[in-house]
Amino acid sequence: MRALLLALLSLLSVPRTGSTDDVTVFAAASLAEALEEVARGYEQASGNKVILNVGGSNDLARQIVAGAAADLFFSADRAQMDLVETAGLVRPADRVELLSNVLVVVVPAAAATRIASPRDLTHLRRIAVADPEAVPAGVYARSYLETAGLWAVLQPRVIPTLNVRAALAAVESGNADAGIVYRTDAALSRRVRIAFTVPREQGPKIVYVLAPLASSRKPATIELARRLAGPEGRSVFEKHGFVIEPGGAASHPLEPPLASSAAAK
Amino acid sequence: MLRGDEAEVVLFTLEVAALATLLILPPGLAAALALARYRGPGQGAIETVLSLPLILPPTAVGLVLLEVLSRNAPLGSWLAGRGVEIVFTWKAVVLAMAVMSFPLLVRSARTAFEEVDSRLVGLARTLGCGPAAAFFRVTLPLAWRGVLAGTVLAFARALGEFGATVMVAGNIPGRTRTLALAIFHDNQVGRDDRAAVLAGITALLAFAALWTTELLTRRLARRAEE
Amino acid sequence: MIEIRVEVPLAGSDLRVEAQLPTAVTAVMGPSGAGKTSLLEAIAGLRPRARGRIACDGAVFLDTGQGVRVAPEDRRVGYVPQDAGLFPHLTALGNVQFGARGGADRVETAIETLGLRPLLSRHPRSLSGGEKQRVALARALATSPRVLLLDEPLGALDVELKERVLPYLVRIRDEWKVPMLYVTHNVGEALALAGHVLLLRGRRVEAQGRPLDLLSSPALSLEAEAGIENLFRGRILGHDAAGGVSRVELEGGLPLTVPLAPAHPPGAQVTVAIRAEDVLVSSGPVKGLSARNVYEARVEALERTGVDVTLRCALPNAPSPWLARVTPAAVEALGLQVGQTAWLAVKSHSVRLI
Repeated sequence: MRALLLALLSLLSVPRTGSTDDVTVFAAASLAEALEEVARGYEQASGNKVILNVGGSNDLARQIVAGAAADLFFSADRAQMDLVETAGLVRPADRVELLSNVLVVVVPAAAATRIASPRDLTHLRRIAVADPEAVPAGVYARSYLETAGLWAVLQPRVIPTLNVRAALAAVESGNADAGIVYRTDAALSRRVRIAFTVPREQGPKIVYVLAPLASSRKPATIELARRLAGPEGRSVFEKHGFVIEPGGAASHPLEPPLASSAAAK
Repeated sequence: MLRGDEAEVVLFTLEVAALATLLILPPGLAAALALARYRGPGQGAIETVLSLPLILPPTAVGLVLLEVLSRNAPLGSWLAGRGVEIVFTWKAVVLAMAVMSFPLLVRSARTAFEEVDSRLVGLARTLGCGPAAAFFRVTLPLAWRGVLAGTVLAFARALGEFGATVMVAGNIPGRTRTLALAIFHDNQVGRDDRAAVLAGITALLAFAALWTTELLTRRLARRAEE
Repeated sequence: MIEIRVEVPLAGSDLRVEAQLPTAVTAVMGPSGAGKTSLLEAIAGLRPRARGRIACDGAVFLDTGQGVRVAPEDRRVGYVPQDAGLFPHLTALGNVQFGARGGADRVETAIETLGLRPLLSRHPRSLSGGEKQRVALARALATSPRVLLLDEPLGALDVELKERVLPYLVRIRDEWKVPMLYVTHNVGEALALAGHVLLLRGRRVEAQGRPLDLLSSPALSLEAEAGIENLFRGRILGHDAAGGVSRVELEGGLPLTVPLAPAHPPGAQVTVAIRAEDVLVSSGPVKGLSARNVYEARVEALERTGVDVTLRCALPNAPSPWLARVTPAAVEALGLQVGQTAWLAVKSHSVRLI
């Protein structure tokens, strides 16, 4: 009996999270594949493990603020990074605006739908969009449609999804007639096709922000962050279709938080 | 204290939960009766299948529902052909609630029916009742407590249903957003204060449902004793 | 006339019964497990796997050969199980009314026959065993049944209660004229009520015939339970408080002295019960005996019933014969024979008023 009890207790004390050389990255859902690639490269090079937690940036920000153990946060917009910064968990100086993206309207691959302009969306009955109240992809989409003066008409037809990938899935399955996702998401799926691309000058400013959590004191965190911001990361992101924010990485060397003696190089 | 759209969510949730409960009553009671009375081959398998939504993660059930309703599946394409839409509508909410609550109703009702002496049912038959009349005049009156408990339990479960609902009905404000989904959404967009209010309302509703059952059971039982 | 040729699958061995039941009341007897209850259930339609043919006064309930199987609700049988089987959620009145056919009159008559008026608003759980049986009987009667199937209706009652309920059964037989199949272990009840006996053993019919014929056969070991074999109707003539007796005139005119029973006013109808073993038999006229009731009778039949001998005696002024039980030794000593005149003596204390 005692042996059984001890065995049970020891199960509880087994650490669930990885060792101190692992890096936990909370990242926007749209970054999943690209990050995966960079992470593998890093793991091979460093021997450390990378734990990826992808989802809607709002959801992730909330988790971090609630105390989730993350080392890096890669948000799809500034607003969610602001949330974490306001909570005192990220230092403003540590933020890097790395990437941008392009919004597109996707329809099921077999559908004959033509979208020549955003106004054509009003002919559709169901449009899947990541939750326009908080998920960056949805917030961007809403901002665009508001500027186009179409939001009031389209809102009743919007199906808010948990994150941008869920919006993509809704279109893939045919449960939605169209969806507004990132170009990078559309590229991943053969079951949808891009019906319309939002011109960059007409769309909202899309900015992906990366920052280490102030509490993360591991060298591995900064190593990975540098890799993401550096040439290896850039080429991977470009390959996947992301737009590199000019002046993002170069102006920010991402010094480790506690090495205060080392001034900016 | 309650804003307009919050009241709407509460009303909507109550409506769909009530509808789901009403919908599962006839098949649920029939299944419970069949399980209580007949011991034949395959009975164990049927029981297990009917109980699955109880044990499976609600999201798994939601996934199954999505697959069944998808345009590639026989049922889904049949419905699509007739212009009937279920996914992402209130009908999907009712469906998800119904599926998740069904086993709770069946279990409670079945226990109640099992406790009714089957000889009394046979006697009712000799006294001129057909099978349906015997059920309504003897079995049901003798089993009403268990049936009521099962119904309220099913209703309460429907009120709180989330996993399957969010998958098959989505979280669409004004169309499929129930209390449980609204709580989730409010938390997602950083409005924990609103989420807390809704959570409180949900708790109140569940409490009211269970307390009413308690009262009804005791009052009716007391009257029967007199 | 009830015709039965039926096979009922049961755990163990199947029940197989072939019988023609000619009379108003048939007693179905036999050891436990012989299939008596299953037979009743098959006739009631509660045995869906029964095969064969069952017909009651021309109405066919079951005829597997012709593909006929009438549902229980359409057979109009009144089934009264051993424990009454009252519906607990209804009052006594609710139970009686449950399947009533023939309107309120029928229900009223059933209630009167079984003396249920004071019980009507009570629920089964507050009723005694005897009261429950009476309610169950009324419930069955109210449906205007073609036949009554009674499964040991007095089985759960003690002797006193048996005596109280048995007269109701006699009334049903005589006034309602509904044929009855009556399962019992009790020889006395069978003799009192039945004109025909069906004896089952090992899921088969062992014998059938007239009660006295069957029940006296030594091959059949039936416990002759203490019972009431003599039941007569009569009316109170008057009371003699000083003498401690009441006088009763039985149907047919026979006088009977019973212990003082002031509860019954003169003119009241009563039923009297006398156990066969309480009837003394003398081969010659009796003088100076304390027993107040002495009658001259003629021995009609002498039958062995178990270890005793039962005499059936005809009395003038009596519509039904009296049964007396004596030891074989007594028969021998008195030289009792069929056709002989005997004198029957009954103490007033041996007479119970019901």
